[in-house]
Amino acid sequence: MKRTKRIKIGLVLIAVPGYSETFFRNKIHGLQANGIEVVLFVNDFKRDEDNLGCKVISAPDFSKGVLKTVITSLWLIVKALFIQPKKNYNYFWLERKDGISVKNCVKHIIRHQYVFSESLDWLHFGFGMLAIDRENVAKAIGAKMAVSFRGSDLYLSPLKHPGCYSRLFTKPVKYHVLSLSMQETLTAYGISKTMVWVIPPAIDVNFFNKTHGEDALPGLNFLTVARLHWKKGLEYTLEALALLKNKGLVFHYFIIGTGDQYERLVFAAHQLGLKDSVTFLGKLTPKEVRAYMAQSDIYLQYSIQEGFCNAVLEAQAMGNLCVVSDAEGLPENVLHNKTGWVVPKRQPQALADQIQDILALPDSKKEGIRNQAVNRVQTKFRLEHQERDFYDFYSELRVNG
Amino acid sequence: MTSKPAVAIYSGDIPGTTFIERLVLGLALSGQRVYRFGFLKAPVAYPKTVKVVGYRNTKIGKGLHLLQYTLLLILFRYKDKRQLDKFLKETATHLTRAKVKAYPVLWHRPEVFHVQWAKDLNNWMWVQSFGMKLVLSLRGAHINYSPIANDKLAAMYRAHFPKVDGFHAVSKAIAQEAEGYGALKARIAVVYSGLNLEALEAEKLDGSSVFEMVSVGRSHWIKGYHYALDACKQLKHAGIPFKYTIIGAAHDIELLYQIKDLGLEDEVVLLKHTPFDRVQLLIRKASVLLLPSLKEGIANVVLEAMSLRTLVLSTDCGGMGEVINDGVNGFLVPIRNPKAIADKLIEIRALSNESKKQISNKAYNTVTEQHQLEQMVKGMQALYGDVLHNNGKGHHG
Repeated sequence: MKRTKRIKIGLVLIAVPGYSETFFRNKIHGLQANGIEVVLFVNDFKRDEDNLGCKVISAPDFSKGVLKTVITSLWLIVKALFIQPKKNYNYFWLERKDGISVKNCVKHIIRHQYVFSESLDWLHFGFGMLAIDRENVAKAIGAKMAVSFRGSDLYLSPLKHPGCYSRLFTKPVKYHVLSLSMQETLTAYGISKTMVWVIPPAIDVNFFNKTHGEDALPGLNFLTVARLHWKKGLEYTLEALALLKNKGLVFHYFIIGTGDQYERLVFAAHQLGLKDSVTFLGKLTPKEVRAYMAQSDIYLQYSIQEGFCNAVLEAQAMGNLCVVSDAEGLPENVLHNKTGWVVPKRQPQALADQIQDILALPDSKKEGIRNQAVNRVQTKFRLEHQERDFYDFYSELRVNG
Repeated sequence: MTSKPAVAIYSGDIPGTTFIERLVLGLALSGQRVYRFGFLKAPVAYPKTVKVVGYRNTKIGKGLHLLQYTLLLILFRYKDKRQLDKFLKETATHLTRAKVKAYPVLWHRPEVFHVQWAKDLNNWMWVQSFGMKLVLSLRGAHINYSPIANDKLAAMYRAHFPKVDGFHAVSKAIAQEAEGYGALKARIAVVYSGLNLEALEAEKLDGSSVFEMVSVGRSHWIKGYHYALDACKQLKHAGIPFKYTIIGAAHDIELLYQIKDLGLEDEVVLLKHTPFDRVQLLIRKASVLLLPSLKEGIANVVLEAMSLRTLVLSTDCGGMGEVINDGVNGFLVPIRNPKAIADKLIEIRALSNESKKQISNKAYNTVTEQHQLEQMVKGMQALYGDVLHNNGKGHHG
């Protein structure tokens, strides 16, 4: 099939992805490199953030008082009526058909008007929650609709907001998820498997590899890179390590990341008698993260909920022995007994046992696992693959399956 | 009556939490003169012996309050005001706000200034320079875990605790924690929480045939609910029919996810914060009140359940072991141990009605012996008396 025109994609995000948000940055750069034009729609945008080489359109700010909100709303209605009347007319009736009240239709028109200004081939919502109340925008502007799901918006948001995706799941949408497990979850909602593309995260394997000369730290060192969030299962991890410490194992555990559960975790370390064996390092740069990976023996990701997890890919690429939980996408990230070990979640004793078994393995076996992990990440989770997959996703040259 | 000193019970807000209000009322009804300083959150109806020196938490409310006490101090106690200003300038992070709080205290000058929350202590060290005695309550989070993750707070405690005139500890365990920050043992009085038992006088209700557990408390990690849910999974695995209600944890996404993850949707209910009479009813109907906490002073809800003759299973944390004697008047299990919780629940479920009754009667007796409101008031007054009695003994520098 010949490409007749340049594909143009509108990517809806909360904000312009910062330097550490590698997933969206890599994706945007990859698409641009393949000749796809990207327009970003964000809620909040500051001029100096624009360094991605794409157009950025921000949503109107309705937080600046009643008068400003009224004036902005009136202006947007005028725009809707006289500049984009057809798109807005379509949108209004699509919303009405879904049973949305006239008042809410008008509200939605005002709120989503900033997306109507562009002619797009695809309108892609970066998170499931961003597509809520905008289920008809893509169709109204004549674009195809795509939605990416990450772990938390697929598994946690529906618990917080029951039925939040019920309208979305009735629409012709192409979905992108990170793992087969997530694909399964979506198909359980009645969505056709062919519409759910699994494109796992990818990492820069030239950056994350063992050729940077950092030496291992003395002693036995464990490492986790994670937000200090309950879903990362760090309290269970600490409990497992406390069991090992009680058996006389001497080690140090480094945790890289910040988050709202800091107090909980420091207290757990204190109460479990691990305060001298655990260091909370806070947020570090990718170079520093790489150095800690190079210096550690075992990488732990004993999450409660996890879409896929880039950090585990990075740790594998760095030759760490990785132990992960069986949360959602993790067993696809690490293959049990091949590229690391998978332990059922919420079972500190099982994690402790697994770590003990690993420590008792002969060096040749450990080396074998390390090599298989490095090779698998190097061949299967490269940025180039992700770029190619996304290009296929939008160009529809390939059928999912 | 008039010999009783004037005491300020300071919690920052008026009214404060239930147990602080219980203390205020208990003291007032015993004839103690009580000051309540702070911002007025809601209307209060105190006995005459309580003087409320409050302000509305608005710019105008605070402005008028500050103006009134600034004028009084300038006109009648100018030297004191200057001394206080100097102190506040050196220590306060927000000077005007500090003045709004401090000026009325300097003007009324109660003999004892009793700070309820340790994190506030930094703002009140100055009262000692004006002859007031400083008493601090050692309660919950402020002592049990906040200073462990917050080095600055721990340093503040270490700097000031040795200078405080008297401490009220809600349990022996929390007194020990405070000693770790330099509180002098001789200045700590353990005064257990007192309940108004007459208000809790009620017959135990027969619940349904299903084994029902209930927990009550805000949705916070320190409450250890995720361990209780892991224990529920083990119960379910053992084929035991049960129902578990957590009051006050509705919409907690961590717990919601765990319930779904463990397939406990039919057994576990999360309820939002509920008025006390309804909570009371749910406790009375439950087979067991479960307290899976990681740390507590002494949980009031346990005392309430014991007085309502509902069996209690608690983790052995903080001061809980000072109330519950395992197998005698309730049940204790180690913290962070779902298996121990599940095993103990199975054990409780298998008890004969006679044994259950015996244990709940003993629990009731413990509360009446150890946690009467009058006891708390007397204990507190003895502490104030000690503090004032030690006047001039070089108690603090």
